Parts: sequence; C-alpha cells; structure tokens
Amino acid sequence: MFVLDDLLFRPLIGIVDTLHSLALQELYDVEALEDERKENRLLYELGERSEAEYLDRKETIEAELELAREVHEQFASGRVEVKR
Amino acid sequence: MSNSNRYVYGIVNTADTGDIEFETDAVAGADRVYTVSHRRLGAVVSNIDTTDPEETDEDAQIHDDVLREIMDHDGGKTIVPMQFGMAFENDRTLKNVLRGARPAFRRAMSDIEGRIELGLKLVTQEDGSIDRDEVEDAVSDELDPIAAQAVQNDRFSDRLVLNRSYLVDEDERESFDEAVARLEDRYGDDLLVQYTGPYAPYSFVNVEIGAQSQ
Repeated sequence: MFVLDDLLFRPLIGIVDTLHSLALQELYDVEALEDERKENRLLYELGERSEAEYLDRKETIEAELELAREVHEQFASGRVEVKR
Repeated sequence: MSNSNRYVYGIVNTADTGDIEFETDAVAGADRVYTVSHRRLGAVVSNIDTTDPEETDEDAQIHDDVLREIMDHDGGKTIVPMQFGMAFENDRTLKNVLRGARPAFRRAMSDIEGRIELGLKLVTQEDGSIDRDEVEDAVSDELDPIAAQAVQNDRFSDRLVLNRSYLVDEDERESFDEAVARLEDRYGDDLLVQYTGPYAPYSFVNVEIGAQSQ
C-alpha cells in the first residue's frame, strides 16, 4: 500500500512543489521590481510622472522589494514551508 | 557608531592629481572626500560606518555628483570610477586592494584618459509605437562613428527603445552633441529622449575590487 502511495502521489507532490516555487518566484520577482523602480525613476526624470506620483510609486515598489527579498532569503534558507 | 570604514568613489593617479581633498555632500551623510594612497594610486573616499551601504536614489546621485566634482577638480582629473557600494573595512584593507589591482587600474586609467561617458535613452510615448530596428540603425549610423566605444545597457522597461552608453573623446563632445540633436529633431515627436552626462566612464571600466575579486 505504501509502495503504491509512493508511486502514485510522490511525483504529483513533486510537481505541486515545483509549481508552488515558481509561483512564489513570480509573485516576489526581485528583478522585475528592480526594473519597475528604474522605470519609475526614468519616467519621472522625463517629466511623464509628477513628483507626487513618482514618490508614491517609489514607496510602494520599495515596500514590495523589501518583502520580496525577505521571502527569497527565507525560501533559500528553507524557512518557507510548502503547505499542502 | 564608528566611521572607520572607507567608501570608495574611484581611483586616481596621484602623480598627476596630487592628493585630492574637498568638502562636499558625500555618501551616507559624510561631508568630506579625500585620498587614501598607496604608492601612486589614490582611492578617493569618504568615511562611512558600514561596508554594505544601501543604494538609495539619493546616495546613488551623490556618488555620481562626487565623481563629477573630481573630474572637474582643479582643471580636470582622470578617475577610474567605482560602481556604487564599494566600501572597505579600513585604510589597510583598501591599500591592499590598491596594491593587488594595480595593473588593472593602470590599464583602465589609460583606456579612459581624456574621455567621458555620455548616456542616451530613447523611450516610446505612452501607448506609442515605432519601428525599433530603424531607430537603432539610425542611432548607430549617427553616433558610432564619433564615439570611441559604445555599450548597450539593460532594457529595464518595455518602453525603452534604446539604452546605450558612449565613451567619447572630450574633443569630440561637440560633434556628439550635434549628432544627438539631429536624432532629437528626427524622432522627438515619437520618442522621449534622455541624453545624460558627462559621467566618469563607469560602463567602460571593468575592474572589480573587493574581498572576493580583483
């Protein structure tokens, strides 16, 4: 019975783990957030965004970046558990 | 909190520049930059209380501004610029790095002597579209013959049609400005143009210094 469980479910659990990891990486994509930070600055410098818009967006992105870095750190150290 | 760590802006040849020292707004709230020298190489530094400074927009701007001040200091100086964030434990560790990377600094200095870096970004208008290949070709045709070198930078936004840095002889600066102006005339209705500089030639110096690499 246990052997059957292993054969049937272990591959499935592996796939779920992988999908979950990928989803986490996309949700907390540090590189994409860094790009967004640079774009925000560029559009402000080009006059397309007002200072208020720029600062507001900057604050949001920096908060998201901090969270994303934290999640990645925890993920790398194995402290983020995949719940099933 | 101690300020015994050293934040490095760039490296100069002190045989040409002498010891550089002036008061200015420096990274992390410091108010003075000065030279830490080993033989004829000098690292232009300010004091800091960390070896891992956070890159805020403000401090990144200050880093650039200090480099520009050094470039303009006392009739103009050649400086091998460091990227933001190079900080060392103390003078001794910094001097060890200067000693170890001496040949690389010398080469870099000779590559950038009398040259400046200029940046060009072309950005589509919001919801605008343009033949990107045609623009890139036109920019290359105008600017590449004048520049000593060009590098393509990161396209961090979908709206960036082009993001390049150019190494330009100071003598060619006027011709380069005129060529950029022609591009602005040609594409100004369809594209936002950001022409920046002069900078110390970051993009054309490939010296990594630090505890792990030199």
